[in-house]
Amino acid sequence: MGDTTSTSDAAAPSGAAADSTARAPFAPWDRRDLPGMFSVAETARRVGNYKWTEMKLFEALGGWIATIPELDIKMRLGAHCYHHAWHADLWNQRLPELREMKPERLTVPANDAIVRFIEAMTEPEAPELTIEKLVGVYRVLIPHFISAYTYHRNNTSEITDAPTIRSINFILQDEFDDWRDGEMMLQSLITTPEHVQRAASHQANLEAIMVEAGGITGPSSIGGASPDVS
Amino acid sequence: MRQFFPVEDLARDERFVQTNMAERLADTRDPMEPESKRKSAKSRSASNRLTPDRPDASDRARGLMHGIMVGEIQALEGAGRTAHDFEAGDGSGDTIPFELKLDMARQAWDEARHVEISAKLGDWMGTELGEFQENTVLFEAACSNDPVLRLAGVNRALEGLAIDVFTQMKEFGDLAGDPYLEFCEDWMLADEVTHVKMGSDWLRKVTEKDPDRRTKALEFQQVVDKLFSFGGARGDHEESSFKLARRFRELAGFTDGENDTINKLGVDAFNERNQAIKQARDAAAAFADA
Amino acid sequence: MSALVAGQVSVDPAEFTQVKYDANEIAAIVTSLAETLGVSNSISLIVDETTPLAKITCSIDAPSSDATIVIDAMSGAIENTKQLTTLGVNQTRTSVGRMLLRARDRMRADFADVDTDDELTLAESAAWDTYCAGRLARAGIEINTQRWRYNHRNRFGFSDAGDADFDRLWAADGLSWSEVVAGIAAD
Repeated sequence: MGDTTSTSDAAAPSGAAADSTARAPFAPWDRRDLPGMFSVAETARRVGNYKWTEMKLFEALGGWIATIPELDIKMRLGAHCYHHAWHADLWNQRLPELREMKPERLTVPANDAIVRFIEAMTEPEAPELTIEKLVGVYRVLIPHFISAYTYHRNNTSEITDAPTIRSINFILQDEFDDWRDGEMMLQSLITTPEHVQRAASHQANLEAIMVEAGGITGPSSIGGASPDVS
Repeated sequence: MRQFFPVEDLARDERFVQTNMAERLADTRDPMEPESKRKSAKSRSASNRLTPDRPDASDRARGLMHGIMVGEIQALEGAGRTAHDFEAGDGSGDTIPFELKLDMARQAWDEARHVEISAKLGDWMGTELGEFQENTVLFEAACSNDPVLRLAGVNRALEGLAIDVFTQMKEFGDLAGDPYLEFCEDWMLADEVTHVKMGSDWLRKVTEKDPDRRTKALEFQQVVDKLFSFGGARGDHEESSFKLARRFRELAGFTDGENDTINKLGVDAFNERNQAIKQARDAAAAFADA
Repeated sequence: MSALVAGQVSVDPAEFTQVKYDANEIAAIVTSLAETLGVSNSISLIVDETTPLAKITCSIDAPSSDATIVIDAMSGAIENTKQLTTLGVNQTRTSVGRMLLRARDRMRADFADVDTDDELTLAESAAWDTYCAGRLARAGIEINTQRWRYNHRNRFGFSDAGDADFDRLWAADGLSWSEVVAGIAAD
């Protein structure tokens, strides 16, 4: 859709009285445009995948608290558990607004590989495996969340899908903060070549499954495969 | 990760040493200072309550604060497990409503802050982390495989206890003129009132169509309430160490009848404990005479 | 039950039934502590194992430098707080150490009129505890300074003046009783 604003400022159209309040609907500095890459249905599908994955993440973080002996990390996971639960709640509220009146219908993983990813990510339980637990979340899953959310935000319509963008912006703030917390915890734990090897090996195993999945919403998570456009 | 997590596996660093109620109740010493031991009116504690005019006030406050901290660690772990252990569903069987999972995650965050607050207050009071034994009874109450029993045990019984204890510490801090203690305890109290109310509301909703399940949950809550009276240490009777914080409990949704029941359970526990101590002493004396 | 006598130290009871304390171990700790603090008097330690409370008091049997020191301790005073009903070595050194220093102070002429431990006010007791704990710390006993500062604050106020009095007492030695209690406001 072309630029419909006049090249002059957004005050009264030419020829109108000087005190007219008629303005162009879009100020010159408002470059938002109409088409986005995702239809209502495609958006709902992605949101359902986000919700499912955020749920799995907050469940994992909550479950791990009792298994982790490091006191500062225990407490941090408590806060992060809530962050991702809140994200799941935002998506749960968004789904009916995208014509999905039964949110649980779309609260599903993108594919089987994502299910296997979550199983692999949540497999470490022993108290000496804090490095593995954190690597799965902060070096694999959360970075993938950041990329999926960023892709979605940058490609959806800023006008028709403003509510999704608003939620993504709030969520991304948490994701970046949590990623930073996680990275600092990991760097404080990884102090020997053996630790480095453990972290790298676990990350590689999980990353391979995520590649198979194509990302949190499947092969089109950050572009590539064709999404359903309006 | 296992669906349910046993108390024996709670992860701790090497500073912490854990015990349980069975070990604690096996201690046959009488925690109440007997009249005969009080040599002078000046050294006598007016009651077993934690007030600044007790000679041992500082050390008792330190011990209680450490107990609060490890209790909050277990509450954090319990809330996290409940967010994890049950699938989202309609609340029947092994499922809990999605919104209840969210509330549990929120509670985990709240409890994490309480651990942080308690750890800072411990520093302020000169207590080392792990200086005192950790009683795992609080997590054990959260361990039930039935989510409704967890709500009863944790959100009503355990958080109700927290309301009583934090009120005591808040009053202590106020009387002592401590600039941080009263302030911090009040913030934690506000959260605990929220947790109890949340537990009461969910217990009601999830068991709306299942009165038997509700009855079982409330019976379980009474069992836990009695356990959490710690042999009569909590209650409105004169020998108790901390009393029921009735005003805050009312805000949280406890009725007068419920509070009276909890008080009675404390009195029963106190009498039972005294009886057990007497029996143990008689047995020891008989053994010595033999 | 009779007392165990080991050199300058006697421990009553000789055998414990409600807690897992060993009288020989207690005697050894107290003997070593007395040597560290330069206390050569006879010491009688009486432990009440019927209660877990931590009250501990001391007295001397005569106002002279060779008096016998009598310490009455409830079992909680020397208990391992990580493993209840077992003996705490550091707790014993801290609790009994304070009492040995108090007893030695009482042998000074300028402590002659001091009330018994049971009769002391809370502020007097706290001031004396600070004075003793500081000396214990300098003698190499493991002491948590903040614990004693908090105790002092509870009696003297959470204020600069209270903290200044704590610092004065903590660093001091050879004080008279009036100097120990100098920070207590007159009624």
